[in-house]
Amino acid sequence: MSVRLLALIPVAVAISLALSAAVDAVALPLFLDTTGTILATALAGPAVGVAVGVLTSAVNTLRNPTFSPFVVVQIIVALYAGLAARAGLFRSLRTAIPAGLGLGVIASLTSTPISYFVFGCTTTGGIALTTALGKALGLPPLGACFFGSFISDFGDKAVTFALVAAVLHALPRRTAARFPLALRAMGAT
Amino acid sequence: MSALHPFSLLAIAAALPAFAWILPAPAGGLATALIAMGLTLTPGARSGSTSAGLTPRWRPGLVTFRTALVIAAPFWLFLRLLHDVPTTVAMGLRITTMVASCVWLVAVLSPDRLVEAMVARGWSLAVAYLFAATLSAVPVLKARARRIVEAQRCRGLSPRGSVANRLRALRALALPLVLSALHEVDERTLALETRGLGMGVRRTPLAAPLDRTAERVARWTLLLLCLAALIRRLA
Repeated sequence: MSVRLLALIPVAVAISLALSAAVDAVALPLFLDTTGTILATALAGPAVGVAVGVLTSAVNTLRNPTFSPFVVVQIIVALYAGLAARAGLFRSLRTAIPAGLGLGVIASLTSTPISYFVFGCTTTGGIALTTALGKALGLPPLGACFFGSFISDFGDKAVTFALVAAVLHALPRRTAARFPLALRAMGAT
Repeated sequence: MSALHPFSLLAIAAALPAFAWILPAPAGGLATALIAMGLTLTPGARSGSTSAGLTPRWRPGLVTFRTALVIAAPFWLFLRLLHDVPTTVAMGLRITTMVASCVWLVAVLSPDRLVEAMVARGWSLAVAYLFAATLSAVPVLKARARRIVEAQRCRGLSPRGSVANRLRALRALALPLVLSALHEVDERTLALETRGLGMGVRRTPLAAPLDRTAERVARWTLLLLCLAALIRRLA
């Protein structure tokens, strides 16, 4: 791995964790905790994205240990974002948002079994409450758990993909060209 | 406790949740939760290293204990909301073990000592750099994010109103943060190349933590006990 990509990893992890301040300011029910993973993947490929995802989970675990089993979700996000970047899906919001919605479904499917079997679906307050809502609607336990994860992930990943597309297009072309996958992810090559 | 080798601290923090999930509930979970909560009261925990705030008059150990309680308590509430009492107790004790072990680990483990231990054990300098640089970059970028939020508010940005308005505000807050962070990559690259990180040479640790034979034996024993408990549970 080149020194530039090595330098990108801690910065991308910090982006994922620092964006919570922006989310708090606008009071939207979003996490944006995969932004760094998706951005690093779009810039430098899935291997760097996986490293960012694993490290983000590790740092999150120091804050709240229940994040640790969800490292699998970060890895899936990096692999999916790698495919999206290679397909040039970050070229516009019109392609990035549907790709993000697709990731929302995949991320919910991945996180549901972890949340259900490890934590009994009580990972965070918001998800636990939407799971309780799903249960009140008559869904079976696993279905209610998926409902809770889906509600939280679906919009979050679409906004994250849109944000990464906006960042890539706001980057000066010379800066983007220093990363191996950035121009392809933007559909510029 | 903080005098133990970093790998020993990691082994204890990993073994307790593993036992909590492997041993039959609720007795297994109760035992591991008691041990983990007991660890949070041991001396050596550093005040200020935990995430749920501080009470300076309290002993650091009590701050760690309180932090573990504050993080674990909502899980009990939500578990009770979603499950019956036996399931709540079984899962709650496991989650409490996991939370308390991790909170204790954060309180007693110094990242500097861990990096030195990793380098001494022959881990690549790049891995040690990733760990240390991430821990130092996160608070810096969080502080910058708060400054950007304040600056944009001073310029009249309104983060309230409709969802579309909030999303526009989010873009105005997130883009400067992410772009400024990405421009930092160039500076970091130059700094790392100047320090010879790209050359792949092995670094000599300045003050490698002492790894006693007894601790190494204890770590292997913990691993074997975990495996034995797992095999017995599955048999």
